[in-house]
Amino acid sequence: MAFTSLAFFLFVPIVLAGFLALPGRMRLAWLLAASAVFYASYGIGAFLHLVFVVALAHAAAHGLERAATPAHRRAMLAAGVGGLIAALGFSKFGDFALAELARTTGMPELRTGLTAPPGFSFYVFMATAYVVDVWRGLVQPTGLVQTALQLSWFPKILAGPIERAGSILPQLGEAMRANPVQTALGLQLILWGLIKKVVIADNLAPLVDRTFAIPAYAPPMELLISLYFFAFQLYCDFSGYTDMAIGLSLLFGIALRENFRRPFLSLTVNEFWSKRWHISLGNWFRDYLFFPLTGSRGASALRQHLALLAVFAASGLWHAGQGYGVGWAFVIWGLLNGAYVSVEKMLQPAGRRFARRYPLVAGSSVMAMLRVFVTFHLILITWAFFRADTVENAVLILQRIGAALPEMAGLVLRYPFTTEHALGAGLIIALFSVEVLSERRGFIERLRAWPTALRWSAWYAGLAALLLLGRWGEGAFIYQGF
Amino acid sequence: MGLETKEADTNSATVALRPGRALLFVVVGLVLYALLFAGSELLARRMAAHNPVHRILTAQPDGQDWVILGASHAMPLDFQGFGAQITQATGQRVLNLATPGTGPLYHRFLTERFFATHRADGVLVVVDSFAFYSEQWNEDRFADSDLLSRTPLDARVLRLFGHFLAHGLDPRALLDYATGFSKINNHERFQPDRWEAEDNFDRTIRPSAHADNERIAYLYPQPPDAAVVARYLDELAALFAVARASGAEVVVIKPPVPARFAALFPDEAAFDAALGALLQREEVAFHDFTDALPDPGFYFDADHLNRRGAVHFLEAHLAPILTQVEAQPTQR
Repeated sequence: MAFTSLAFFLFVPIVLAGFLALPGRMRLAWLLAASAVFYASYGIGAFLHLVFVVALAHAAAHGLERAATPAHRRAMLAAGVGGLIAALGFSKFGDFALAELARTTGMPELRTGLTAPPGFSFYVFMATAYVVDVWRGLVQPTGLVQTALQLSWFPKILAGPIERAGSILPQLGEAMRANPVQTALGLQLILWGLIKKVVIADNLAPLVDRTFAIPAYAPPMELLISLYFFAFQLYCDFSGYTDMAIGLSLLFGIALRENFRRPFLSLTVNEFWSKRWHISLGNWFRDYLFFPLTGSRGASALRQHLALLAVFAASGLWHAGQGYGVGWAFVIWGLLNGAYVSVEKMLQPAGRRFARRYPLVAGSSVMAMLRVFVTFHLILITWAFFRADTVENAVLILQRIGAALPEMAGLVLRYPFTTEHALGAGLIIALFSVEVLSERRGFIERLRAWPTALRWSAWYAGLAALLLLGRWGEGAFIYQGF
Repeated sequence: MGLETKEADTNSATVALRPGRALLFVVVGLVLYALLFAGSELLARRMAAHNPVHRILTAQPDGQDWVILGASHAMPLDFQGFGAQITQATGQRVLNLATPGTGPLYHRFLTERFFATHRADGVLVVVDSFAFYSEQWNEDRFADSDLLSRTPLDARVLRLFGHFLAHGLDPRALLDYATGFSKINNHERFQPDRWEAEDNFDRTIRPSAHADNERIAYLYPQPPDAAVVARYLDELAALFAVARASGAEVVVIKPPVPARFAALFPDEAAFDAALGALLQREEVAFHDFTDALPDPGFYFDADHLNRRGAVHFLEAHLAPILTQVEAQPTQR
């Protein structure tokens, strides 16, 4: 049941009507049943994966509570977290590893037949965080219904945000209800998320898919355009989902955390990853991998850099399991980004010295724009590894674009641009304009200040964009495959 | 977009819900939607020259001698004005309602819609076995946005869609048609409704086993299933009944295809036997032209007649059929 399907547009009002009609004490069970129905629509296998994760997290959390000694607690933590991560790894890489084993040893190839269902890693990450937070004493173990609902909550189960138990569990109670402000904001977010997904991302996707399928034959100009388009396709696809997830949750009075904050306006790669892009995953890696690896804030610079690279490599490995396929390109993508952040950290003292010596230059808008431009293009290079089928193809794409760069001005003038290019560019410019405007003052605030006629016009324009330009039924969200 | 939840005071319940304003918002939205629908409908009618429903609605009620039904194999008989050539050669006025990728259920729908307001002396049904093997060419085609986006709004079509729900039509197709969603959402709204293959009508194919195999895999996505074939043969029989009740004679033909291509049809003998039994029972004239033009020089791709093939087919096979049938008295 895709978020963009008619079935989902019927499903949500039914769930909402039941939620509003039922007494508070029955609402949790109702939402859990709705979430179970939603996820079971992806198959009984998917549902059983979810049941397994919920059962393991619940058992581990209560086991930690009951453990009498520190050794028992450590054992319970290891069993819970180990079981969850093993399940994730086995589902994502099991058959790949068995195939590699058979290929290298000549043994007959075995297959588990298991594949990670949509959103698997997202709720495994949440479950892991829950168990660790119980171990750290940050949250108390909850009842089975609450544990199951926080992990399976249907608006976010496919691609996050990766919520922490500490922030979502207190909201899951009998007092759950949305006020008109939340409802209005929720509807705005759903509309904006839909526009990002079906109008922008899905209109950029066809050209990207075609070009990346034939990197050796596509003209360099087309490769470059596709790389730009892919950056915005991925952003709109993923952030569109999380906007909808946050908006849908608000209809039920549940506030999820922010997951994207205009990432392509980042001044540095570090800012991109830590504050603007998939923020909930970045925080998860920071809290449950980076900090344990560095040990303490007094860790040596070398250890911090190595931990940084390890985190980005782990992020690359996580992406490698599904989505665009199993391959080392994702690991290279992760390591490249890790290297960028490491180098930035090393250059920070020099940057501070420059800012002290030339404060006007360092603080100017031109410098800010230059930094945004450079950061965007550094990340753009890494997207080639993210999207290409293989490392070889990613290198080929970058080589062919690089070789054509000296004559790019001439190529642009001569290139036979199509309406598809024009539509894609127009959508990107429109998105970028809204994002730049929102950087200073949130769009919601601006919207609130407008007269009713203008505000309604904005709504109708958004709905008309969905009707006239939306590509409905084009497929799943990219990140639900990860 | 700056829609962060923290930016808005989401916990504030000071803003009261105003049902009157919400209702006004919905009403204005519905009016705007109706305008969008009307505009899209007008545009679709202007661009929908080849849509079969559009052809029916724009045809003279009493102006046809023959109606041709079929999938893409019957379409070259109307490419680049070839319909006029048929009329010139036979003296028969022909309305070609062939639509790519359609099977007996869709053809029955077109027959019912045509004879609801029009009459013709004969119905020529061009039968392909693939169209009897899968819902993809029948029920699913009703919900295909490519077709829906070009199908003009018509009360009788709407009623027929409702009636065809009992025949397995997806309710979403009815909803889509009634709301005009596919027309409003048509990304090729400014492109004329035509099959690009028409541009190849004067070309000749260079045989390719790979292309043949790909085409067969596309046409026959599922293995033949006798129960499925029987279901669609029933739809064909229902089509016969509708046409005959309106006084039209029915003739069924199998279209010519290259010999190489015909050899790839899965289980064609079983299909021929089932079709033959139905036609015998219904006493419908049948001509199997599968092997009539085996030379690939008569085709512009793996299996569609080019102009040379169409001329040859018209002169040698089609013209005698179109000129020998006389109108029958209307039975209803």
